[in-house]
This record gives sequence, C-alpha cells and structure tokens, in this order.
Amino acid sequence: MDRELPGGYAGRILRVDLTSGKTWSEPWAPDGMRLFVGGAGLGAKILWDEVPAGVAWDHPENRLILATGPLAGLPVWGTGGLSVVTRGAMTNGGTSTQANGFFGACLKYSGYDAIVVQGQASSWLYLYVQDDVAELRDAAFLVGKDTWETQDVLQARLGYSGHQMSVYGIGPAGENLVRFSAIAGDYGHVASKNGCGAVMGKKRLKAVALVRGTRAIRAADPRGLFQAADEIAHDLKTNPTTRSLYEYGTLNGVLNLNKIGALPIKNFTTNVVPEGTDMAAWEAPSLREGFDHRGHQCNACGMRHCHMQVIPTGPHQGQIVDEPEYEGWAGAGWAIGCTDPVAISWLNTQIDRIGVDVNEFGWLVGWAMECQEKGYLTRDQLGGLEVRWGDTEAAAKLLQMIGRREGFGNILAEGVKRASETVGGPAATCAIYTGKGASPRGHDHRARWEEMLDTITSSTGTLQTGPPVHPTEFGMPARINPFDPEAVAKNVGGHLGRRHFEDSLGACIFTTRSLLATMCRALSAATGWEFTKEEALRQGRRTAALFRAFDLRCGIGPDLEWPSPRYGSVPADGPAQGRAVQPHWERMVDVWYETVGYDRKTGRPRPDTLRSLGLEFLIPSLWGA
Amino acid sequence: MHDSAIRHPPSAIGYVTVEVVAWVTRFVGGDGTRRQVFQEPAAPDASVRSVLGQVSDRHPALREALWDAAGRELSEHIEVLVNDSVLGLTHTLDSPVRKGDRITLVGQYTGGA
Repeated sequence: MDRELPGGYAGRILRVDLTSGKTWSEPWAPDGMRLFVGGAGLGAKILWDEVPAGVAWDHPENRLILATGPLAGLPVWGTGGLSVVTRGAMTNGGTSTQANGFFGACLKYSGYDAIVVQGQASSWLYLYVQDDVAELRDAAFLVGKDTWETQDVLQARLGYSGHQMSVYGIGPAGENLVRFSAIAGDYGHVASKNGCGAVMGKKRLKAVALVRGTRAIRAADPRGLFQAADEIAHDLKTNPTTRSLYEYGTLNGVLNLNKIGALPIKNFTTNVVPEGTDMAAWEAPSLREGFDHRGHQCNACGMRHCHMQVIPTGPHQGQIVDEPEYEGWAGAGWAIGCTDPVAISWLNTQIDRIGVDVNEFGWLVGWAMECQEKGYLTRDQLGGLEVRWGDTEAAAKLLQMIGRREGFGNILAEGVKRASETVGGPAATCAIYTGKGASPRGHDHRARWEEMLDTITSSTGTLQTGPPVHPTEFGMPARINPFDPEAVAKNVGGHLGRRHFEDSLGACIFTTRSLLATMCRALSAATGWEFTKEEALRQGRRTAALFRAFDLRCGIGPDLEWPSPRYGSVPADGPAQGRAVQPHWERMVDVWYETVGYDRKTGRPRPDTLRSLGLEFLIPSLWGA
Repeated sequence: MHDSAIRHPPSAIGYVTVEVVAWVTRFVGGDGTRRQVFQEPAAPDASVRSVLGQVSDRHPALREALWDAAGRELSEHIEVLVNDSVLGLTHTLDSPVRKGDRITLVGQYTGGA
C-alpha cells in the first residue's frame, strides 16, 4: 500500500478505545489526504463523521483526535506539530487547537498520521506508543502530577530522555475537569483552547507517551523539499515582519500591542500602562537577556523563538521555566495588573504545569481582582484570599484552587462566563467572553475588531483566521483601517482558510508565516502533488465549513455570536479610546457572512459554497435533500 | 534614545517627530531596542508620505521594509501611527502634517500564542 501513498504520509491512523482497552490501526485512504491534508483538516472530517449531536464534550463517545500533517518529521522548520480536535468543554462545540514540540514528528516516525481516542476508561491510563506497539497502561502513579512532572516521571520510568520521547498530557486541572484545562507537553508546548484537557480528563487518559519511532518518512521530491525548506527559512530570517519572530518569537508583542491599544491591561479597565512602568524592560532583547536562557527549539527548527529560562530573583529564584509567549506575558501578567517580567514568567509556567489555558486564566483572575476591588466578590467568597491587582502569588493560590476545584475554585474552574453568571449582579458585567463561551486570545480586541469578529464567528473554540499573514499575496490590502467595519469584515472573511491550512500541515503557526506559495511548494515536494495556494485556501475553507457544520449540529449558531458587555465595551483611554464596536457589530457580522459564503440567518455555509469546496455531502444534512 | 542632528532648511515650517520603536530600529541602524527619534523638517506642503520618504531616503533598509516594491504605497510590515492613531483614522498617507505632529513606526501586529 505504501507505494500508493503520497509522500509525507504514514497512511495509518491509530485507534484507541478506552472503554474496551483496545488499540488498533486502520489505513487512511489517499483520496482523503488531498481534500483534508491532515491535522485540523483531518480532525474536522473525523469529528463530523463520528461525533453526532447527542454526544456532548463529556460523553464517552466524544472523540479526542491528536493529528499531525504531511510536513511533520520532514526537514522543514517547526514540523513537530500537533492539532488537537474534539468537541470541547468551553463551547460544547468544535475545537481545533495546536501545539508544537516533537509530538507530530514522533507520531509519524511511529507510523501514524493521527491518534483517535474514544471511550472512557474505568481507571487512569496512559497510552504508550513505540512503532507498532500501542498499549494502554495503568497511570495511577501519575495522578495528581503536573504536566512537567508527568513527563519527568514517564521518561525516567521508560528510560528515555531528551527528544527520544514526546509526552503530552493533562495536569491536575484536566483530571478535575476544569473547563478550560489544556493538553501540554514537551515542557512548555500547550494545546490549550476550548477545554480539550477536560475531554482528555473525562476519558481518564492522563498522557500519551510517544517514543521517537524508527520508520522513515518519504518525500516525493527530496531535492524540491530541501529547496522549499531553505526558502521558508530564508523568508523567515529576512522578511521584515517575520524577522522579528525569527529572532525573538512573540516577545515584541507587548510593546507593539501597547502602541495600538491592544495590550489588555487589568481586565480591560484601562489601556494605559501604569505610571512608572519601565517599558524598556519589555523590549524583546531585554526580556530575553533579563534571564539566564537557552534555546528550546521544536523539531527541525532553526528559529530563535522558544527558550527555557531561569528565574533570576525573588521567592522562586533558580526555578527553570519556559520563556512565555506573548499571550503568557498578557494572561499571566498585564491582564491581572502585573508588570514584573520575573513574576509573570514564573506564574506562566505554573499555569502550563497545572494545565489550563493562559488566556482564560487571565480573564478569570482579572475579573476576580476587579470584582474584589469593587466589592462584588468578598474575601470570604474567595476563601479568605485577597487578590489585588498584580499579585502573582495570590493568583498562583487561585490557580491551585481552580486546578483542584477547592472552595470558590470550583466555581472559577467553570471559566469566567459561567463563574460570572453564577455570581451574578454587577460582577456579571465585568467578565470577558464570547456568547459561545470561547476565551478571547490575549489581546484587547476593542482595538482589534478583526480578532473580535474572528473569535466570535469562529467554530473552533478560538479564533480561526488570526492576524493577516502576507495579505497582498492573495489580493488582500496590505493594511486596513482597523475601525472600518466593512473593511474589517471583508479582511477577516477574505483570509478565512489560511490558518486552517497551516494547521493541517503538521507545522508551527510561526514557521508557516512564510509566503503561502512557498508553503505549498514544500507540501507539493513532500507529497508529489501540484498544490497551489488557491487549493490551500480551499482546503482551509473546507475545514472551516466542516467545523461550522459541526457546531450547527451541536446547536451553536449565529444567535450566540456576540461579545460579552465587557468584551465589547468602549475603551476608556489609550490609543483606541472612544472606539465603540457595538454600533457596528451587526453590519460587521453581515459583511463577514456574505464574504465567506454562509447564510446570515441560519449560519449555514450556502449550498454553492459547499459545492465549491467539494463538500456536497454536507448539503443534505444542512439544507435537506 | 538617539536624536538625529536637527537640520534647518530655509523653507521648513517646523519639525515633525518620527519615532522609531524597538524592533523597527533595526531598519534605521539600531539594535532593535529603545527608540530612535528623528526631527524631520517639514515644508509647507509636507505630508505623512513626504516625511516618511525623507526618513526612508536616509535608511535603505527602512525603505525596503516600509514601502511596496514600487515605492508608492506602504507594505504590510510596519505599523504607522500619527499622533498615536493608526494611519487611516485621523491621517492618510497624503494628509498634511503640521509642526509638532508625531509619526510612530512600530512592528506590525502578528498576533500571539
């Protein structure tokens, strides 16, 4: 069968049934590969096929899909990619969330393109995979351990170190079904969106330990692949936008976003940096050099992005942590009023270790801090805890209460939407969330209407389009007025598909910020196809339409596409002061629907849209025979 | 902070501040930190475009990053703010500038993770 496979694929899916304790592999037919590519695209198709409406996020028959793509394990930068696709706990709808590290490469080297987990174990298990060996093993000795400890213990017990084995799992938060819990692995990489960790916890699957297998991955055109990989690397190093990512990852984010009013400060109560804050400390070189650090690259990656660092001062001096991404600096810091990089860096890793999404954590703790300051939440309600702005030690105590569902932590563990609804009164007006229940990413979207619209109309539990990447490459404007509702909606709709395509490749979202045409050359060289950027966008839009159809089947539609009062409020100060999104909201959504070819009233992709995407099989389900 | 030498062309109505922030200083000879501030002389008919053109003329790397291949429109790489507002709100590229205006060049928004 292998000779018929396009290059880059393993051609097998590992199936795991936790109820019966069985594992087996099944072939993945080549005709589906070109349509869905892998990763998010493959996951979306499986989710649609196998998770009916009555199977909620916590139902044993929900699927947890851990998928990679055709570039994973090949010598292209950042190709250890993992896409987690499931029906998630936050929205009770579609989920697509990514992490990097080595998981995707190890999976391919073991001979699989994806692992599909179903069922529910009667006791805690972990999945061990080494080439053709796939076993469910007792995980009692891992219960209660955080995500880093889990990897430490499994590596020691199984006799592997470094990149010989990739481990992704859940921490105490996932075990306790914290609704915004994450799946984390390889020390600092986190698939965190839409409560995928709670799905894994409900299945009582503590971790997946993947030994770096021994199977070769064939590229159809090895010389072409190396050439494309070189072009991608060159582009990332020299392109004026991506060059900063190459050098410093997302460390430049705080300064850049502050300048345009999109840095979320103190739960959206201000957009002005506190007086006396040394913003020079927030320049990327200063942030990096402020810590003893070393590179922590993902599979085959030459970016100077991921780093480990050592806490230099304070009560946690000497601890090794993962250098925060921008969203870590925001969620573990600015959103809760902390501007001390050392304190934030430490807290950020604690969040990863207990295993929750840092964005939701920021909105939740920022909300609690504001509510306590205003008297909407009492000290008694918080178990005697005072949570003042910027107090990362108090935030860490809250984190432990949440992760273990202790006291008020049991309410907070439901996420800020549900917690604020439970508390009620004026506290309910201070919470940042979407109508579907998804967490906004770690920016103040009141200054980035594109991302607010994207987050709210998305069917993946997080934004699905993301900021434009090389927009002129496919005829979109280089820049738009960020407060022009029509331009915003056309831009978000016009870019739909690119990120889903990236998330289907088995590569990192940062190394795929090369030109789309170059990424397609890499995919073509790997597989032997002639894959164009137009086909890439169609594949991405096909994936988006599948997630949309899935969400509609779950009862999640346009009636939930609104920002919470605080999320959609008017900035009181800063560069976006006075910019009100609400008066333009309905018009913006209208234009987005028209642009993506979905029906505004029902939310369904129109039949002509589905036909153009090769998704005719969805028409009877969505529109009737 | 590095302030360029102030030049005094006879026709200038005054000076417009061009502030190059953090990463973008790489394109004007800096190391990607702090700021570089240029006081640009502005003629009576000066616009955002002409002021940015003056700075770009002195810094080829900035020209390459800031403008499209034809050198007529801004490319996608650098965010331009005029008096703290993103270009397109209070000023377009061809809006006149006045004495005391401040143009800020900051790295393009690339999201986070």
